[in-house]
Amino acid sequence: MNSQTESSGVGTNHDLHVQLKELANSLSEIVSSIRAAHEPIVESRSKVPEATQQLERIAQQTQDATHRVLDMVESITKREGEIESLLKQLQRVLPATYFRNNSRVKRVIGEIAKKTSDNQNDAYAIMDALQFQDITSQQIEHAMTVLEQVEHRLHEVLVSFGEEDLKAPDEPSRKRSYDPNARYSSDHRG
Amino acid sequence: MSQTVLVVDDSPTLVKFVSFSLRASGYNVLGACDGMDALEKLANLESDIDMVITDLNMPNMDGYELIATLRENDKFAATPIIILSSEEDEEDKRKGEEAGATSYLVKPFKSSVLMSEVSRLLG
Repeated sequence: MNSQTESSGVGTNHDLHVQLKELANSLSEIVSSIRAAHEPIVESRSKVPEATQQLERIAQQTQDATHRVLDMVESITKREGEIESLLKQLQRVLPATYFRNNSRVKRVIGEIAKKTSDNQNDAYAIMDALQFQDITSQQIEHAMTVLEQVEHRLHEVLVSFGEEDLKAPDEPSRKRSYDPNARYSSDHRG
Repeated sequence: MSQTVLVVDDSPTLVKFVSFSLRASGYNVLGACDGMDALEKLANLESDIDMVITDLNMPNMDGYELIATLRENDKFAATPIIILSSEEDEEDKRKGEEAGATSYLVKPFKSSVLMSEVSRLLG
Protein backbone atom coordinates (compact mmCIF):
# COMPACT_ATOMS: atom_id res chain seq x y z
CA MET A 1 0.00 0.00 0.00
CA ASN A 2 2.83 2.31 1.04
CA SER A 3 4.88 1.56 -2.02
CA GLN A 4 1.79 2.23 -4.16
CA THR A 5 1.31 5.61 -2.47
CA GLU A 6 4.96 6.52 -2.88
CA SER A 7 4.86 5.45 -6.50
CA SER A 8 1.66 7.49 -7.01
CA GLY A 9 3.25 10.50 -5.24
CA VAL A 10 6.25 10.39 -7.53
CA GLY A 11 3.90 10.30 -10.53
CA THR A 12 1.89 13.25 -9.18
CA ASN A 13 5.04 15.30 -8.59
CA HIS A 14 6.21 14.52 -12.08
CA ASP A 15 2.85 15.62 -13.56
CA LEU A 16 2.89 18.76 -11.45
CA HIS A 17 6.41 19.51 -12.60
CA VAL A 18 5.39 19.08 -16.25
CA GLN A 19 2.33 21.30 -15.78
CA LEU A 20 4.33 23.99 -13.99
CA LYS A 21 6.88 23.93 -16.81
CA GLU A 22 4.07 24.34 -19.38
CA LEU A 23 2.59 27.15 -17.31
CA ALA A 24 5.98 28.87 -17.09
CA ASN A 25 6.37 28.55 -20.88
CA SER A 26 2.89 29.98 -21.42
CA LEU A 27 3.59 32.86 -19.05
CA SER A 28 6.85 33.52 -20.82
CA GLU A 29 4.99 33.64 -24.15
CA ILE A 30 2.37 35.97 -22.68
CA VAL A 31 5.07 38.29 -21.31
CA SER A 32 6.79 38.27 -24.75
CA SER A 33 3.45 39.05 -26.43
CA ILE A 34 2.80 41.90 -24.00
CA ARG A 35 6.34 43.23 -24.61
CA ALA A 36 5.74 42.99 -28.38
CA ALA A 37 2.39 44.77 -28.02
CA HIS A 38 3.84 47.57 -25.89
CA GLU A 39 5.47 49.57 -28.67
CA PRO A 40 2.45 49.46 -31.06
CA ILE A 41 0.19 50.51 -28.15
CA VAL A 42 2.50 53.46 -27.34
CA GLU A 43 2.55 54.39 -31.03
CA SER A 44 -1.24 54.05 -31.44
CA ARG A 45 -1.92 56.11 -28.34
CA SER A 46 0.38 58.88 -29.58
CA LYS A 47 -1.49 59.03 -32.92
CA VAL A 48 -4.99 59.40 -31.46
CA PRO A 49 -4.76 63.13 -30.56
CA GLU A 50 -3.53 63.89 -34.10
CA ALA A 51 -6.47 62.00 -35.63
CA THR A 52 -8.91 63.81 -33.29
CA GLN A 53 -7.45 67.21 -34.25
CA GLN A 54 -7.67 66.31 -37.93
CA LEU A 55 -11.38 65.49 -37.53
CA GLU A 56 -11.89 68.78 -35.67
CA ARG A 57 -10.24 70.68 -38.57
CA ILE A 58 -12.44 68.88 -41.12
CA ALA A 59 -15.57 69.83 -39.15
CA GLN A 60 -14.46 73.47 -38.84
CA GLN A 61 -13.50 73.82 -42.52
CA THR A 62 -16.78 72.24 -43.65
CA GLN A 63 -18.70 74.59 -41.37
CA ASP A 64 -16.83 77.67 -42.68
CA ALA A 65 -17.48 76.66 -46.30
CA THR A 66 -21.16 75.92 -45.56
CA HIS A 67 -21.58 79.36 -43.96
CA ARG A 68 -20.00 81.05 -46.99
CA VAL A 69 -22.48 79.24 -49.27
CA LEU A 70 -25.39 80.12 -46.93
CA ASP A 71 -24.39 83.82 -47.03
CA MET A 72 -24.25 83.73 -50.84
CA VAL A 73 -27.63 81.96 -51.08
CA GLU A 74 -29.13 84.60 -48.78
CA SER A 75 -27.75 87.38 -51.06
CA ILE A 76 -29.14 85.62 -54.14
CA THR A 77 -32.64 85.29 -52.65
CA LYS A 78 -32.58 88.96 -51.60
CA ARG A 79 -31.66 90.03 -55.14
CA GLU A 80 -34.34 87.77 -56.62
CA GLY A 81 -36.86 89.39 -54.27
CA GLU A 82 -35.70 92.83 -55.48
CA ILE A 83 -36.14 91.73 -59.11
CA GLU A 84 -39.72 90.66 -58.31
CA SER A 85 -40.56 94.07 -56.83
CA LEU A 86 -38.88 95.86 -59.78
CA LEU A 87 -41.06 93.87 -62.19
CA LYS A 88 -44.14 94.95 -60.23
CA GLN A 89 -42.96 98.58 -60.46
CA LEU A 90 -42.48 98.17 -64.20
CA GLN A 91 -46.02 96.85 -64.57
CA ARG A 92 -47.31 99.89 -62.66
CA VAL A 93 -45.41 102.52 -64.71
CA LEU A 94 -45.89 101.04 -68.18
CA PRO A 95 -49.09 102.00 -70.02
CA ALA A 96 -51.89 99.44 -69.62
CA THR A 97 -51.97 98.96 -73.39
CA TYR A 98 -48.61 97.12 -73.11
CA PHE A 99 -50.33 94.32 -71.19
CA ARG A 100 -53.39 93.87 -73.34
CA ASN A 101 -54.21 90.32 -74.48
CA ASN A 102 -51.09 88.25 -75.07
CA SER A 103 -48.68 91.14 -75.71
CA ARG A 104 -44.95 90.51 -75.96
CA VAL A 105 -44.22 92.76 -72.94
CA LYS A 106 -46.73 90.81 -70.83
CA ARG A 107 -45.18 87.49 -71.89
CA VAL A 108 -41.58 88.63 -71.24
CA ILE A 109 -42.41 90.06 -67.82
CA GLY A 110 -44.27 86.83 -67.00
CA GLU A 111 -41.25 84.74 -68.05
CA ILE A 112 -38.84 86.86 -65.97
CA ALA A 113 -41.16 86.52 -62.94
CA LYS A 114 -41.33 82.72 -63.46
CA LYS A 115 -37.52 82.39 -63.74
CA THR A 116 -37.06 84.56 -60.65
CA SER A 117 -39.46 82.37 -58.70
CA ASP A 118 -37.65 79.20 -59.92
CA ASN A 119 -34.32 80.70 -58.81
CA GLN A 120 -35.79 81.44 -55.37
CA ASN A 121 -37.04 77.86 -55.05
CA ASP A 122 -33.66 76.45 -56.10
CA ALA A 123 -31.90 78.75 -53.63
CA TYR A 124 -34.11 77.40 -50.81
CA ALA A 125 -33.40 73.83 -51.98
CA ILE A 126 -29.62 74.55 -51.78
CA MET A 127 -30.12 75.96 -48.30
CA ASP A 128 -32.12 72.89 -47.18
CA ALA A 129 -29.36 70.61 -48.55
CA LEU A 130 -26.71 72.49 -46.54
CA GLN A 131 -28.16 70.92 -43.39
CA PHE A 132 -25.85 68.00 -44.26
CA GLN A 133 -23.12 69.96 -42.42
CA ASP A 134 -25.03 69.87 -39.12
CA ILE A 135 -25.57 66.11 -39.48
CA THR A 136 -21.99 65.26 -40.55
CA SER A 137 -20.55 67.43 -37.76
CA GLN A 138 -22.57 65.37 -35.25
CA GLN A 139 -21.18 62.18 -36.81
CA ILE A 140 -17.64 63.63 -36.58
CA GLU A 141 -18.21 64.62 -32.92
CA HIS A 142 -19.27 61.00 -32.26
CA ALA A 143 -16.11 59.65 -33.97
CA MET A 144 -13.95 62.09 -31.95
CA THR A 145 -15.54 60.93 -28.70
CA VAL A 146 -14.88 57.28 -29.61
CA LEU A 147 -11.23 58.12 -30.42
CA GLU A 148 -10.84 59.91 -27.08
CA GLN A 149 -12.26 56.86 -25.28
CA VAL A 150 -9.77 54.62 -27.16
CA GLU A 151 -6.94 56.96 -26.13
CA HIS A 152 -7.99 56.70 -22.46
CA ARG A 153 -8.19 52.88 -22.66
CA LEU A 154 -4.74 52.65 -24.27
CA HIS A 155 -3.40 54.95 -21.56
CA GLU A 156 -4.84 52.64 -18.87
CA VAL A 157 -3.21 49.61 -20.55
CA LEU A 158 0.17 51.38 -20.63
CA VAL A 159 -0.16 52.39 -16.96
CA SER A 160 -0.92 48.74 -16.12
CA PHE A 161 2.34 47.84 -17.93
CA GLY A 162 4.13 49.95 -15.32
CA GLU A 163 4.26 53.34 -17.04
CA GLU A 164 2.81 55.25 -14.09
CA ASP A 165 4.62 58.46 -15.08
CA LEU A 166 2.95 58.58 -18.51
CA LYS A 167 1.09 61.90 -19.06
CA ALA A 168 -2.68 61.36 -18.98
CA PRO A 169 -4.57 62.25 -22.20
CA ASP A 170 -5.71 65.88 -22.43
CA GLU A 171 -9.38 66.51 -21.72
CA PRO A 172 -11.41 67.75 -24.75
CA SER A 173 -11.17 71.53 -25.20
CA ARG A 174 -14.99 71.80 -25.13
CA LYS A 175 -18.01 69.75 -24.13
CA ARG A 176 -19.21 67.49 -26.91
CA SER A 177 -22.89 67.12 -27.66
CA TYR A 178 -24.29 65.10 -30.54
CA ASP A 179 -26.83 62.55 -31.61
CA PRO A 180 -24.88 59.35 -32.42
CA ASN A 181 -27.74 58.24 -34.71
CA ALA A 182 -27.88 61.48 -36.75
CA ARG A 183 -28.31 60.61 -40.44
CA TYR A 184 -28.50 62.85 -43.48
CA SER A 185 -31.11 62.11 -46.10
CA SER A 186 -31.86 64.24 -49.14
CA ASP A 187 -35.46 63.21 -48.58
CA HIS A 188 -36.09 65.80 -45.86
CA ARG A 189 -38.47 64.47 -43.26
CA GLY A 190 -39.68 67.67 -41.55
CA MET B 1 -44.29 95.20 -35.39
CA SER B 2 -42.64 91.92 -36.39
CA GLN B 3 -42.63 88.93 -34.10
CA THR B 4 -39.42 87.68 -32.51
CA VAL B 5 -38.25 84.06 -32.50
CA LEU B 6 -35.47 82.66 -30.30
CA VAL B 7 -33.45 79.94 -32.09
CA VAL B 8 -31.41 77.66 -29.78
CA ASP B 9 -28.91 75.19 -31.26
CA ASP B 10 -25.25 74.36 -30.59
CA SER B 11 -24.76 74.04 -34.36
CA PRO B 12 -23.96 77.53 -35.75
CA THR B 13 -25.02 76.23 -39.19
CA LEU B 14 -28.52 75.35 -37.95
CA VAL B 15 -28.92 78.72 -36.20
CA LYS B 16 -27.81 80.50 -39.40
CA PHE B 17 -30.06 78.36 -41.62
CA VAL B 18 -33.19 78.74 -39.46
CA SER B 19 -32.51 82.47 -38.89
CA PHE B 20 -32.26 83.04 -42.63
CA SER B 21 -35.61 81.31 -43.27
CA LEU B 22 -37.29 83.30 -40.47
CA ARG B 23 -35.82 86.67 -41.56
CA ALA B 24 -36.90 86.00 -45.15
CA SER B 25 -40.47 85.64 -43.84
CA GLY B 26 -40.25 88.89 -41.85
CA TYR B 27 -39.52 87.63 -38.32
CA ASN B 28 -36.90 89.05 -35.96
CA VAL B 29 -34.43 86.41 -34.79
CA LEU B 30 -32.39 85.95 -31.64
CA GLY B 31 -29.81 83.11 -31.60
CA ALA B 32 -28.44 81.10 -28.65
CA CYS B 33 -25.94 78.22 -28.55
CA ASP B 34 -27.47 76.17 -25.68
CA GLY B 35 -30.13 76.25 -22.97
CA MET B 36 -28.05 78.34 -20.55
CA ASP B 37 -27.25 80.90 -23.24
CA ALA B 38 -30.95 81.05 -24.18
CA LEU B 39 -32.03 81.73 -20.58
CA GLU B 40 -29.36 84.44 -20.22
CA LYS B 41 -30.48 86.11 -23.46
CA LEU B 42 -34.13 85.98 -22.38
CA ALA B 43 -33.26 87.47 -18.99
CA ASN B 44 -31.55 90.42 -20.68
CA LEU B 45 -34.27 90.93 -23.29
CA GLU B 46 -36.43 94.02 -22.89
CA SER B 47 -39.13 93.02 -25.38
CA ASP B 48 -41.22 89.81 -25.43
CA ILE B 49 -40.34 86.67 -27.31
CA ASP B 50 -43.09 85.16 -29.49
CA MET B 51 -41.67 81.70 -30.12
CA VAL B 52 -38.76 79.42 -29.21
CA ILE B 53 -37.22 76.92 -31.65
CA THR B 54 -34.79 74.59 -29.92
CA ASP B 55 -32.51 71.60 -30.46
CA LEU B 56 -32.44 68.78 -27.87
CA ASN B 57 -28.80 67.61 -27.67
CA MET B 58 -26.81 70.60 -26.45
CA PRO B 59 -23.97 71.08 -23.94
CA ASN B 60 -24.47 72.88 -20.58
CA MET B 61 -28.28 72.71 -20.73
CA ASP B 62 -30.21 70.49 -23.15
CA GLY B 63 -33.52 71.25 -24.86
CA TYR B 64 -35.70 69.29 -22.42
CA GLU B 65 -34.35 71.24 -19.44
CA LEU B 66 -34.68 74.54 -21.28
CA ILE B 67 -38.34 73.85 -22.16
CA ALA B 68 -39.17 72.69 -18.62
CA THR B 69 -37.49 75.83 -17.17
CA LEU B 70 -39.39 78.11 -19.55
CA ARG B 71 -42.71 76.43 -18.75
CA GLU B 72 -42.15 77.03 -15.03
CA ASN B 73 -42.11 80.78 -15.77
CA ASP B 74 -45.58 82.32 -16.24
CA LYS B 75 -44.14 84.66 -18.88
CA PHE B 76 -43.38 81.72 -21.19
CA ALA B 77 -46.19 79.37 -20.13
CA ALA B 78 -48.06 79.83 -23.43
CA THR B 79 -45.12 80.61 -25.75
CA PRO B 80 -45.07 78.17 -28.70
CA ILE B 81 -41.95 75.97 -28.59
CA ILE B 82 -40.81 73.90 -31.58
CA ILE B 83 -38.22 71.17 -31.10
CA LEU B 84 -35.82 70.58 -34.01
CA SER B 85 -33.93 67.34 -33.47
CA SER B 86 -32.23 64.53 -35.36
CA GLU B 87 -33.67 62.16 -32.72
CA GLU B 88 -36.66 60.57 -34.40
CA ASP B 89 -37.71 58.04 -31.71
CA GLU B 90 -41.27 58.24 -30.42
CA GLU B 91 -39.74 58.23 -26.94
CA ASP B 92 -37.90 61.51 -27.66
CA LYS B 93 -41.08 63.06 -29.06
CA ARG B 94 -43.02 61.95 -25.97
CA LYS B 95 -40.33 63.40 -23.66
CA GLY B 96 -40.45 66.67 -25.61
CA GLU B 97 -44.22 66.84 -25.26
CA GLU B 98 -44.00 66.06 -21.54
CA ALA B 99 -41.45 68.84 -21.07
CA GLY B 100 -43.94 71.23 -22.67
CA ALA B 101 -43.02 71.48 -26.37
CA THR B 102 -45.75 72.52 -28.78
CA SER B 103 -44.36 70.83 -31.88
CA TYR B 104 -41.53 68.48 -32.99
CA LEU B 105 -39.69 68.46 -36.34
CA VAL B 106 -37.03 65.91 -37.30
CA LYS B 107 -33.74 67.10 -38.88
CA PRO B 108 -33.02 67.42 -41.72
CA PHE B 109 -36.22 69.27 -42.64
CA LYS B 110 -37.45 71.48 -45.46
CA SER B 111 -37.42 75.18 -44.61
CA SER B 112 -40.91 75.41 -46.14
CA VAL B 113 -42.17 72.80 -43.61
CA LEU B 114 -40.63 74.74 -40.72
CA MET B 115 -42.04 78.04 -41.95
CA SER B 116 -45.59 76.65 -42.30
CA GLU B 117 -45.35 75.34 -38.74
CA VAL B 118 -44.08 78.73 -37.50
CA SER B 119 -46.87 80.65 -39.24
CA ARG B 120 -49.49 78.10 -38.05
CA LEU B 121 -48.41 78.54 -34.43
CA LEU B 122 -47.96 82.31 -34.57
CA GLY B 123 -51.15 82.89 -36.48
